[in-house]
Amino acid sequence: MTRNAFQNLSDEALLDYYHSTRNLRAFRQLYSRHKDSLYRYCAQMHFPSAASVVEQLWDSLLERPPELCGRLLRNWLFIRASQMLGISETATDGEENSAPRESTYAEPAAAAESDRLLSAVQKLPRIERNILLLHMECRLPLATVADIERISLSKCRALYQNGKERLREILHGPERQPWQVKEVTL
Amino acid sequence: MSVCERDYQLAAAVIQSPAALDEKILKRARSFKPTRRNRPWVSRAASGFAAVAIAVLLIHPAQYLGALTPPGHATTPSAAVEETSLANWQEYAEEALAKADPWYELRQTVESGDHVALCSQWREQQRDISAEKLPRDLVREARSHCRLLKAQ
Repeated sequence: MTRNAFQNLSDEALLDYYHSTRNLRAFRQLYSRHKDSLYRYCAQMHFPSAASVVEQLWDSLLERPPELCGRLLRNWLFIRASQMLGISETATDGEENSAPRESTYAEPAAAAESDRLLSAVQKLPRIERNILLLHMECRLPLATVADIERISLSKCRALYQNGKERLREILHGPERQPWQVKEVTL
Repeated sequence: MSVCERDYQLAAAVIQSPAALDEKILKRARSFKPTRRNRPWVSRAASGFAAVAIAVLLIHPAQYLGALTPPGHATTPSAAVEETSLANWQEYAEEALAKADPWYELRQTVESGDHVALCSQWREQQRDISAEKLPRDLVREARSHCRLLKAQ
């Protein structure tokens, strides 16, 4: 099968082909499609464990085909990454319990530190950051994000809006309020 | 895509998967060897057929048809050769005409200006002595050139 033929295959078809033939080029194609966004998501959620989570995720995918149960491979990857990040975060929280709250937010990567928007994302609470990233970075629908966070869709939508508002506030300051003219009584 | 999402996509494009991590994962992928379909009879049969087909193509006499032309016939045509062949053809045509036409010799004598033979033949025809009748062109020629002598 040629490289162009791989480009036209969907993720799921590529995965099937890879597991039936163990063709390295098929895996490369699949890996190159998702590596950056997967790493970006993990690094922004929990930078210390990002590399290990990504590695474990791809290792498990290489070992045996995942049970997609009708889901897209992309969705499966981010759902699994979210679960693994949650586990590793709680583990590191237990280890570094004495550390201040600010440091438990994902330590941003060097690139993230330099960018105002990315550093603002780091200042969001975990759940809002996760919802924002899963929707904006991973392009998952809010219904799927709600399933991952185990909350209702309306609450997920509200948290997403809150996260966007908060991000705007961090970047551009609070929204302008009209002048309050107080009545002066003599 | 909203402005916020677009701004985020632009800002996040800076973060990329580290090359060391990529290499590590691809190395792990390389450790899984590609599965080979062991069906040697297919390849053996295919290679055997291919060898036979090539041998047939090389040895088959049909490809040499026309390659061994007899000497003298395959020479390149030139102007002199064409002229001689044309002259040969004309000679041959005259011979053939002489064989086919019984009045050929008489016509040749008439064309050369000698009408004696024609006129004698013509007179014989007029007196109903000759069984053979002259062709039309010779009759026309005889009428214009020969005098009909009155029988005494």
